[in-house]
Amino acid sequence: MNHPLEQLRDDALREIEAASDEQALEATRIKYLGKSGSISAWGEQMKTLGKEERPVVGRLLNETRNAVTVAIEKRAEILRSQKESVALAGIDISLPGVTVPSAYSGYCSIALTGYSGYLPLERGSRHPLTQMLQRSIQIFHRMGFSLADGPDIEDEWHCFDALNTPADHPARNEQDTFYLPDGRLLRTHTSTVQIRTMESAPPPIRVIAPGAAYRRDEIDATHSAQFHQIEGLYVDENVSVADLKGALEFFLRELFGSETEIQFRPHYFPFTEPSLEVYVRSKALKGGERWIELAGCGMVHPAVFEAVNTARGDKAYDPEKWSGYAFGLGMDRLAMILFDIPDIRLFAQNDLRFLKQFA
Amino acid sequence: MKFSVNWLREFVELPKNPEEIAELLTRAGIETKNIETRGANIDKVIVSLITASSRHPNADRLTVCEVDDGSGTKRQIVCGATNYKVGDKVPLALPGAKLPNGTEIRKSKLRGVESEGMLCSPIELGLGEDASGLLILSPDAKIGAPIGDLFPADTILDVEITPNRGDLLSHFGLAREIAALSGKKLKSMPRDANIEIKKSGVTIAATRECPFFSARKIANVKVRPSPQWLRANIESVGIRSINNIVDISNFVMLELGQPTHAFDADKLTGGINVRFARAGEKFLALDGKTYSLTPDNVVVADQERAVGIAGVMGGEESGVTETTTNILLESAYFLPASVRRIARNLNLPSDASYRFERGVDPDMVLRASQRATELIREIAGGTPAKEIRTAGKLPANPADVSLSYEKCNHVVGVAIKPKTVDEILTHFGLKKTKSTSKGGTWKIPSYRQDLQRDVDLIEEVVRAYGAEKIPGTDRSRSSSSTAADRSHDLESSLRDQLVARGLLEVRTSKLISRRAIALDEKVINLCNPLSEDHVALRPSLLPGLVSVLDRNVRAGVQRVAIFEIGRVFVPPTGNEERRLGLLVWGNVTSAPHWRLSEKQTTLEFFDLKGVIESLGIGNVSFRRVDRPDFALATEVLSDDRVIGFAGQLATARAAEIDVPGSIFFAELRADLVLETQASAKGFRDIERFPAVTRDIAMIVPEEIPHETILRTIEQPREPLLESVDLFDLFTEQIGAARKSLAYRLTYRDRSRTLTSEEVTEVHARIRERLKRELGVTLRE
Repeated sequence: MNHPLEQLRDDALREIEAASDEQALEATRIKYLGKSGSISAWGEQMKTLGKEERPVVGRLLNETRNAVTVAIEKRAEILRSQKESVALAGIDISLPGVTVPSAYSGYCSIALTGYSGYLPLERGSRHPLTQMLQRSIQIFHRMGFSLADGPDIEDEWHCFDALNTPADHPARNEQDTFYLPDGRLLRTHTSTVQIRTMESAPPPIRVIAPGAAYRRDEIDATHSAQFHQIEGLYVDENVSVADLKGALEFFLRELFGSETEIQFRPHYFPFTEPSLEVYVRSKALKGGERWIELAGCGMVHPAVFEAVNTARGDKAYDPEKWSGYAFGLGMDRLAMILFDIPDIRLFAQNDLRFLKQFA
Repeated sequence: MKFSVNWLREFVELPKNPEEIAELLTRAGIETKNIETRGANIDKVIVSLITASSRHPNADRLTVCEVDDGSGTKRQIVCGATNYKVGDKVPLALPGAKLPNGTEIRKSKLRGVESEGMLCSPIELGLGEDASGLLILSPDAKIGAPIGDLFPADTILDVEITPNRGDLLSHFGLAREIAALSGKKLKSMPRDANIEIKKSGVTIAATRECPFFSARKIANVKVRPSPQWLRANIESVGIRSINNIVDISNFVMLELGQPTHAFDADKLTGGINVRFARAGEKFLALDGKTYSLTPDNVVVADQERAVGIAGVMGGEESGVTETTTNILLESAYFLPASVRRIARNLNLPSDASYRFERGVDPDMVLRASQRATELIREIAGGTPAKEIRTAGKLPANPADVSLSYEKCNHVVGVAIKPKTVDEILTHFGLKKTKSTSKGGTWKIPSYRQDLQRDVDLIEEVVRAYGAEKIPGTDRSRSSSSTAADRSHDLESSLRDQLVARGLLEVRTSKLISRRAIALDEKVINLCNPLSEDHVALRPSLLPGLVSVLDRNVRAGVQRVAIFEIGRVFVPPTGNEERRLGLLVWGNVTSAPHWRLSEKQTTLEFFDLKGVIESLGIGNVSFRRVDRPDFALATEVLSDDRVIGFAGQLATARAAEIDVPGSIFFAELRADLVLETQASAKGFRDIERFPAVTRDIAMIVPEEIPHETILRTIEQPREPLLESVDLFDLFTEQIGAARKSLAYRLTYRDRSRTLTSEEVTEVHARIRERLKRELGVTLRE
């Protein structure tokens, strides 16, 4: 058998649900939870109960009070948003959109000779990373590179195995990789697009692939969880380290000026052999008096070609016939140097005062 | 890894200036991250012996020590450290000494007690980072000797060793590389092991993971603190001194690159077996933690239990302590991949696993054992067994590699003389076994397992030859544009249009915060987020744009009109879609202006709609829909195809980020916007004959929308009607539920000038239609 309090609760909840406006809801609240409301009255009644009954009823009373309070809050929320929607329901959305800012309407009625009325009042701007990227793409377009693209969500094969970094390889750093519940991951470098591109087209290949990459790393002024790279890949007959140097030297001098000093230092990446790191130094750049690392690059490792062949099921990328170079430029770093931006985090914060500096 | 220049000098002649060593290495791809000068060649700092210690009468935290400085008279020193005991030898700075941090030592009174000098900690002498207490010196240090005798000046290089070069993770290894790069000869080589080998007493069950294992017994050793030179050597590169046996094991690893391990032989039961762990087998490691093992972990075990995790760490229970007298010295070769997997699974990286997983030199396994044995005999006494017990076989030498000079020239892009190529490879320890005019076959030294193909040899040539000597060449070629080029070009023009309208482009993180998800429920979560700020992939551009709004409103901005073009990840599959997001909020202008009405007008839905309409989408229209979180929600259509969404955020939701006023947001599929943009451009005759305009003003019931009125004006189509513009709309002073609208109609014929009568006739027809079909009241 139901306790009278339970009956009371069910009645209250039903009435709350039925309240069609805020006044009705408030009336319901007073009826049950007000000073002399019927639920509140049970508080008084408690005193008359016996020792055994009291804690049981006490608990039930608390539950009832909570349930009703929560229901009232929820209903109030719904009523408020309904009221808002109703208020907005009268808006005729088919009215023409404003093609010049609204303020002009009052403005144009004043006789202004020669004023066209179509100049925007505010100046827009492209994000500095976009500007950097577009400048870079323009240069690479002049050098005969096309664009390529690949997904941010990748599988281990494209991110590691195909790039000559098998499981248990010391350079395969799962610690720094974000994984998704289905076992896929967020690419840790844009080099995945090398594989994607070669899988879908035979040589020769001459592409760049700008995009985001992700590292599970502590965030500071020079590291962020998401960063941006421009990947480059050139596969042809007899491509050499000299060609790689020539291409990156051209790009970097176009970008930073002809007086830029560029140094290539041997390094190690599993997917290139030989591997190099690129440093620049230029007095024309702020903070450019010391060598700054900008890119990793190298000659595509034969094992990468072999992995691509396996995936393709042919011998299109015969390492004896084709060779190639690949590079990965740090786009955030390039933009930071070019615009003298001290902190990588400013890019993702999008403070309008920051963005307007690049208008 | 840290390297001591003094230590390196024992093996190879080095330039005097450490910067030159760093430069030589860096040019060859071995980056020196830091150069640090060490050493305590400080005048008037000597070795002293603490002979007595008592509490300071006036200070709880200080003690008064009596020390012997070797001069015959005792000195009284007030000291704040607590890590010493009477009988310890410690550095004493005499009055007049000047410490590296600039402190000058004087005779002084500390809280009323005379102090004739200062006892020093490592940091005060520039010997390390340790500031926690006095530097306790080795018992064999000579009292009164200058401290510089114990800590000769040294330079420490912090060198980044890439994962392919495990052979450089030792002083001998790096010295060998420097010798090869600089053309110098090595001064000394680790000696051949020359020990009697006995194939018993050790068994290997995990033969793949542990190809070779050796153990040598050394009896009657005395475990005690290490002599000063040994301590100074290992401490200079950041390894803590434990006792002579452990220190020797570490010393040999730092010197030769081969990790060894000493067991207390009396705590072992029966012979050693290298086997797979049993499921759930517990192991107490030297780091004091208990690890629960799985059957893919490999352990070094005696007949009863695991005493070490293979290649990773020894066990606490079988470790060497002060009471140890007999030891068993392990030196083995473990499979790199296996060690890496075990260390990672147990989250237990160690100096040993770091080296094993990068591959140790098989040729060094027994030499290192022999070197450690000799040092133990010398320093800790003890009698080594005549024979060493081993099991398994050391991995074979890497296979020979053929290299053609032509291929080398092709890859490098510059002709390098065959003689130069041969010299470089010979310096790196390779031996030419077959020589032809076109190239040759090279025998790879045991420590260079990374040299497997011709390109690996070519890399060595580039490193030694110098990348800077290769001139850059221009190899341009034309490439056809791709789909990615086309969408990039279209997106660029979209961006330009929006910028021209005064919108600012933002780029927000594709990883969104926990807080943002509460708003937007369905997302793809990361399994292993590092912070609450980046826990999931954005399913929409909304959370990012809202957070930009939030940040800027807090900063006091009056107007936010932003857009973003970027990828979102549509749950549940994470399908990647490019979208255009728009958000407008606040005032029409970010600052007041003299030519604007005094009352700032705020941006509204029609400003957002105007932006979308200006994108040139073919036949764009808006249709009301219901969407939770939005007080006003519309679908954006091109013809009948839904290409996105536009609306006004519900107040409840706006309140969560504490932004006053209405927030307008739209999100369109970027690909569909680009697809539906009316792209066909072409010339059409410019109108030669004048237009005639007539206005219609009307009062209509509020519920009749503009589009209905427009349709009534335009259909059936009047050939002379060119365009219709709504130019006025108000609701004041015309009664409830009614509105007043005024339209300007433009009439024109493309082939002649219209007469007033013609226009009047058509215009009257339209007015009639409005009255008849919509029941509007026309105003005169």
